[in-house]
Amino acid sequence: MAMAQNQTRKYVSNTLFYVLYVAVAILFLAPLVFLFVSSLKDETQLISDMTTMKAFIPYGKMGLDNYVQVFEKMDFLHYFRNSAINAIIQVAAGLLINGMMGYALGLLEFKGRKFLISLMISLTIIPTEAVVINRFLVAVNLGVVNTVWALSLPNLAIPMYVYLFYQHFRGMPKDLVEAAVIDGESYTGIFFRIMTPLSKPIYATVAIMSFIRAWGDLLWPTLVVRDNTWMTLPQKLRSLNDSVYTYWGQIFAFSAMVTLPILIVFLVFQKQFVQSVAMTGIKG
Amino acid sequence: MSEASWKKNRKHRSQLTRSQQRAAWGLSAPAMILLFLFMILPFFMSVFYSFTSRQLVVSAKRPTSFVGFTNYEKVFTDKVTRQSFFNTLEYTLILVPSVMVLATLLALLVNRKARGVTIFRLIYFSPQVVTMTVVTVIWSAFFSGMEDGLFNMILKSFGIPAQKWLQDPNLAMPCIAVMSIWQCLGMQMIIVLGGLQFIPEEIYEAGTIDGCTSWQELIYITIPQLKNILVYVFISNTIYSLKMFTQVFMLTQGGPSNSTTTLVYRMYEEGFTNKRVGRTSALAVVFFLIVLVISQVQNKVTEDK
Repeated sequence: MAMAQNQTRKYVSNTLFYVLYVAVAILFLAPLVFLFVSSLKDETQLISDMTTMKAFIPYGKMGLDNYVQVFEKMDFLHYFRNSAINAIIQVAAGLLINGMMGYALGLLEFKGRKFLISLMISLTIIPTEAVVINRFLVAVNLGVVNTVWALSLPNLAIPMYVYLFYQHFRGMPKDLVEAAVIDGESYTGIFFRIMTPLSKPIYATVAIMSFIRAWGDLLWPTLVVRDNTWMTLPQKLRSLNDSVYTYWGQIFAFSAMVTLPILIVFLVFQKQFVQSVAMTGIKG
Repeated sequence: MSEASWKKNRKHRSQLTRSQQRAAWGLSAPAMILLFLFMILPFFMSVFYSFTSRQLVVSAKRPTSFVGFTNYEKVFTDKVTRQSFFNTLEYTLILVPSVMVLATLLALLVNRKARGVTIFRLIYFSPQVVTMTVVTVIWSAFFSGMEDGLFNMILKSFGIPAQKWLQDPNLAMPCIAVMSIWQCLGMQMIIVLGGLQFIPEEIYEAGTIDGCTSWQELIYITIPQLKNILVYVFISNTIYSLKMFTQVFMLTQGGPSNSTTTLVYRMYEEGFTNKRVGRTSALAVVFFLIVLVISQVQNKVTEDK
């Protein structure tokens, strides 16, 4: 009797938890559902649906018209290409540059090591926003404004990433380095041929962080890219959003396509994604 | 060991140290050069220019000269700049406590061994992958100030009159806070969850033996054990809110009547619209000092262990 009661109670509380889970999930998903559903709707229907809960329901006249328009009228591929090239440079070159320094700080012994470590820790405190105007003056003086280099170069070396790599490599066995040196491997070679292949998880983590950062940044691109040639997706989205002549359906289709690449990366690399978050959490 | 082999060994050693030295600096050089150009140099330029009248474009008509602390005075006397401190504070005061409470509640909610719970964690996390520009596009549709905007229609069904939302000086900042919370909450939940899973099972077992209720468990075990994580969430979200820019830049451009001009947005305005590098630099230095103080608080609070 008591056991049966206990079981009923457990059953009820379990059900209650699932009801809560689903309710919260709806709150988190609704805006995303709204975005994708609206991007598929015909403009007239979209406008009238936007005033009711119908905005979240896929029905009626739906199709890819808005997407076609975004490709044809807004030259989506041009901005996508700009954002993609910028992100690829930032991720690939960033991993290399920050990884190399993290390895040097973590595993090699040299004069100035302690100084560089404390310098990195101090630099993690400086928010990029606090240096942005003079960083812009540096970019102007280097003559890179309105090029892809202005977008990417200042965002390659990130003290936080160097620090994460340093933490990682510090935990690797030093014996590995010594053994490889006896085998005639150079210290640089050890990094590329031994340490990097052993460090895939940290590379994945930092890659995800820097991709998100590169893909979404608006402030810096706005400052250094003033013409169409290297304008990125967030910049273009901003100018579309500002214009009264743009259709809602097309803005949503554009937004949906800005979101999709990260969403796909997220769904494929869920574990590393969540790990990269936990990492920033623990390392501070 | 013979004299000769000892000498040879030492020579070999010092060769090793030297090649290690060279490799280490070589590997650090690219990062160091870039950090010098785009972090260290601009930082010192900010400090230097904050004492000058430097303009974005230097011309013979407006030469750069030393002005002492005038720019710093302006940081605190300029009406809009002063307003931007209060606006940023308002945003922080809405965002940080909400995120801390909601993230902890969500983490407790999903910290169970139930079937499918990992899928719900992923769902709650998913807004994090939506770029902020897109977040603002979606939510500005919900926060439409028109009579028949989505949120106004919901209010209407409860008999509450329509609101102007982003066009209302009192509501604009809370609206921006709501969309930002939606985006970042899942990530903070994962961080708190990580902390929860670090709490040793034995403490709870001891609590059960002592007859703890679940409420007492939360107050006397879970929250004290989470202290460091919660301090981290507090600090990182505070700094994150101080840097808020994209939402304002996308939606309100500081309006209505400067009610959403944040510190970073003000820097953008002063620097690139008004082209005053000197004043912007002073604001940037003050901004940096605020962030510095806050991040030192974390070290102090989490140190005592």
